[in-house]
Amino acid sequence: MKAERVFLLLAALAGLLWLAPFAWMAVASMRPDAPGQADLASLWPSGPFGWDNYRDAWESGHFPLWYLNTALLCVGILAVQMVTVSLAGYAFARIDFPGRSTVFALFLLQLLLPPAVLVVPNLQMIVHLGLFDSLAGIAAPYCASAFGVFLMRQTFRSIPRDFEEAARIDGASRLQIMRHILLPMAWPGLASFAVVSVSAHWNEFLWPLMAVSSPQHQVLTVGLASFTLASESGGSWGVIAAGTALVALPLLLGFTLLQRRFTASLASTGLK
Amino acid sequence: MAGEDVRIGLARASRENMVAAVLLAPSLLFLAAFTYWPVFGVVLRSLTEQRFGQSASWGFGNFIRLFADTHFHRVLVNTVLYAVGTIVPSLVLALFLAVALSKPGRLTGLLRTVLMLPQMVPLVAAAALYVFVFLPGEGLLDHYLAYFGRYATNWLGSPDLALPSVILITIWKNTGYYMLFFLAGLAGIPADLLEAARIDGANGWRRFRDVTLPLLGPTFAFVGVIAMVNALVQIDHIIVMTGGGPSDSTNMILYYIYQQAEQNLDLGLASAATVVCVGVLLALALLSLRRLERGIHYES
Amino acid sequence: MRQLLLAAAALLSVGGTAQAATDIDFFFPVPVQGKLAIEMTRVVEGFNASQSDVHVTPVYTGSYDDTNLKTRAAISAGKPPAVALMSANFIREYAIDQKAVSLDGLIGKDGQTPQAFIGQFFPAVRPNATEDGHVYGVPFHNSTPILYYSVEAFQQAGLDPEKPPVTWQEWVDDAKKLTKHDGDHLVQAGVEIVSSYDYLGWLTSGLAMSNGGDYFNHGWGGEVYYNSPSTIGAVQFLDDLVHKHQVMPEGVIDASAASSAFFSGRTAMMVASTGALGYVRDNMKKPFKVAFMPRAMRNAAPIGGASLLIPTGNSPERQQAAWKLISYLTSPAVNGAWSRFTGYFAPRMAAYDLPEMKAYLAQDPNAKVAIDQLAYGEPWFATFNTVGVRKALEDQVQAVLSGKAKPADAMAQAQKDADALLRPYVEQTALKLPQ
Repeated sequence: MKAERVFLLLAALAGLLWLAPFAWMAVASMRPDAPGQADLASLWPSGPFGWDNYRDAWESGHFPLWYLNTALLCVGILAVQMVTVSLAGYAFARIDFPGRSTVFALFLLQLLLPPAVLVVPNLQMIVHLGLFDSLAGIAAPYCASAFGVFLMRQTFRSIPRDFEEAARIDGASRLQIMRHILLPMAWPGLASFAVVSVSAHWNEFLWPLMAVSSPQHQVLTVGLASFTLASESGGSWGVIAAGTALVALPLLLGFTLLQRRFTASLASTGLK
Repeated sequence: MAGEDVRIGLARASRENMVAAVLLAPSLLFLAAFTYWPVFGVVLRSLTEQRFGQSASWGFGNFIRLFADTHFHRVLVNTVLYAVGTIVPSLVLALFLAVALSKPGRLTGLLRTVLMLPQMVPLVAAAALYVFVFLPGEGLLDHYLAYFGRYATNWLGSPDLALPSVILITIWKNTGYYMLFFLAGLAGIPADLLEAARIDGANGWRRFRDVTLPLLGPTFAFVGVIAMVNALVQIDHIIVMTGGGPSDSTNMILYYIYQQAEQNLDLGLASAATVVCVGVLLALALLSLRRLERGIHYES
Repeated sequence: MRQLLLAAAALLSVGGTAQAATDIDFFFPVPVQGKLAIEMTRVVEGFNASQSDVHVTPVYTGSYDDTNLKTRAAISAGKPPAVALMSANFIREYAIDQKAVSLDGLIGKDGQTPQAFIGQFFPAVRPNATEDGHVYGVPFHNSTPILYYSVEAFQQAGLDPEKPPVTWQEWVDDAKKLTKHDGDHLVQAGVEIVSSYDYLGWLTSGLAMSNGGDYFNHGWGGEVYYNSPSTIGAVQFLDDLVHKHQVMPEGVIDASAASSAFFSGRTAMMVASTGALGYVRDNMKKPFKVAFMPRAMRNAAPIGGASLLIPTGNSPERQQAAWKLISYLTSPAVNGAWSRFTGYFAPRMAAYDLPEMKAYLAQDPNAKVAIDQLAYGEPWFATFNTVGVRKALEDQVQAVLSGKAKPADAMAQAQKDADALLRPYVEQTALKLPQ
């Protein structure tokens, strides 16, 4: 019992340290921008506060467009992935075809080789397909997901076969079984995959940086980098903090609200 | 494919195979275009030598240049240091936190959320924050270290400290995510096994070592693979914070590839480095994946 | 989806668009933080409102190096911007790679010769904008390295703030007086010189020039002079500031770290770009002044900054539209206003004949110092593969600043690395002899 208390205390300490950069972001983004002042790093919220930094950050970039592009990208990728991973996941979980484990290993290969590693050939590929400089070009390499297939295979496996058998005896087709029985039951797996997928693509930087050149297709991370990278003078820390908050807040809020559900669903996917 | 003259069982099996093929086709199509073909293409490109104003020829010239490049030697050493320096502490810490926070409760729930937050922030955004955290003198770290009588430290500007600083960010960013997998793993350990060990008189540490840890083997393998890929692939903070410097001290293999491809416009060298990177990833992962597969088969 | 995007783009693009207008993109970096991106958008808005033939969308593309990457990527994808504001020393590479349009034709249409056209700009900025007598870039804003110093720190150390150091010897003497130690720790540095990538190559080239050197071959992009006494001496000087005189912190100092140390009084002097003048003016709470870079043998300042170029792959119609924007941005009034806002100097000489510019200089003597130093300006380092060749030097100088290498060895290595990168170009030019 005593050990547990100590552990919890240490974990709480870690939590505080983990929170510090966010706390600074929140305080600094509201503080009037003045790099000269000594308490630049102070986490203690001291006024006067204002929204000037947010206004400046907002005006320095094209946030509405970036939000729209990023959202379109994440939703688009997820929609396609949902289809590809549940089909493949089902095949691996329920059909005993020859060479199954070899094909599965071939799938897992993608887990190791994300587009960022293959950035040079992938760029040539999307140029080839006429997808360079488009959101579809950013999305294309992610339409199949080894991680998702893995997750869905585990999810389908954890569903007892009895339900399907019963439905089959009742004369339901495979497609009907999948739509009406398996997918609803696999919902936790899909939901946790959705969180992983959306957070991964919302946050990705290098690949969108390379795959898109024109401003209409810029995403949030690339936009943010373009105004934190200026180098000839020094930081306008308040504006950087505000810009960072603008980029990070949607997911932070979403996650905080859905956290319990997400953790539970991930635990239930059988990823042990 | 299946034979022509068939019994019913075989016919059914071949129909099943067809169904499997149809279900796998969409994924395989994308994998072929964006994983298998690019691997093939990059191998091809790495064997093509073409430099300014010259025509292309075949050979190992790119690899010879790559392995002769002292920057690349430095990059390999950095990458290994960075991988070990991020993976080992993150996994240990993640496991510890999972154990500490495994019981449900308001405080544990809150702490889990807090520890997961960095995962939800883009690495470029985190890097933008950490540029300030590591600012000498006026930055967040030095500001509070000053209370302990420390002077300004050139965190990102010293070749000795830059890599550890970058490692620190990665640990902060990823540990909470890995913790989730360990939490899931812990939840899957049958309570009766632990109870049996308790009845046998094993203390907390012994129960952890002899029961919990072995059963977490597949989780370790899975998280290990993810962590390794992350270590090699996530370089956004390098781009934002150090540009690989000072003196190449934070230059990693993927950043090197990016530099060769984009800054020096040397696709041959970039492709050769990619081939090396892919080879290393495959070799290292083969072991973990095999272990992972075994663990899962064993459980299901 | 496409319509949504278009709608969003239309919402975002500022100013009214006439039906027949040519729509063009303009890539621009903001090397100085603060409100410059907003100001640039405002300038372009002014252009869009001033006429109805051309509608420009300004695109903020990050640092100089990023802007280079993005412009190149856009060119190879067949979607080049009509105008890019490019680090002045990259112009040569664009000319070598045939990625930029020679502007001679457009200049000719305006009834000018290339020589007369470029003659309207300060002599120091001309070499980086031209290649073999052809104009490839139009200088937009320029800078030189300059010494910023705190008046208060000078007074406290018993130095006269009206007499900044002029020679390297005086610089070291003053820096020693300005430095405060606590044991081994620097409480107040005498000087901080920005030494992150991009900045460091520029500043080292300035020190090497002042130390008598030429640094790179002005006429041809295949040679640099790293392993020569003038550069080794300059790097030795940097090494001495850190390790012998102990007036500068060890390791690499980026622009954020230097300026924040300057604002908080942790350094008494700082070497940074004149382009940061506006930023320092806004943020430095205590009085400060600027002075020429102290000299070794001669006054010398490398010209930094950016020029406007037109990438290849633009139709004649778009080139004409681009030229219209370029002419507007480099007109004396616009160029001068941008200079007053940023602290960069205006490369267009006539900008300084305008009354508002005269008033500005009379009221801010610091800005005048930056202009006066122009008389000693020399072209900026420009070669084949500029970034890689520059980095070859920077990696080694950073090692010296961190106490990991000695100047002579470091420069020998830098030369070797640079030569290897230049080799393919050298083989196709200087060493390609008649068969």
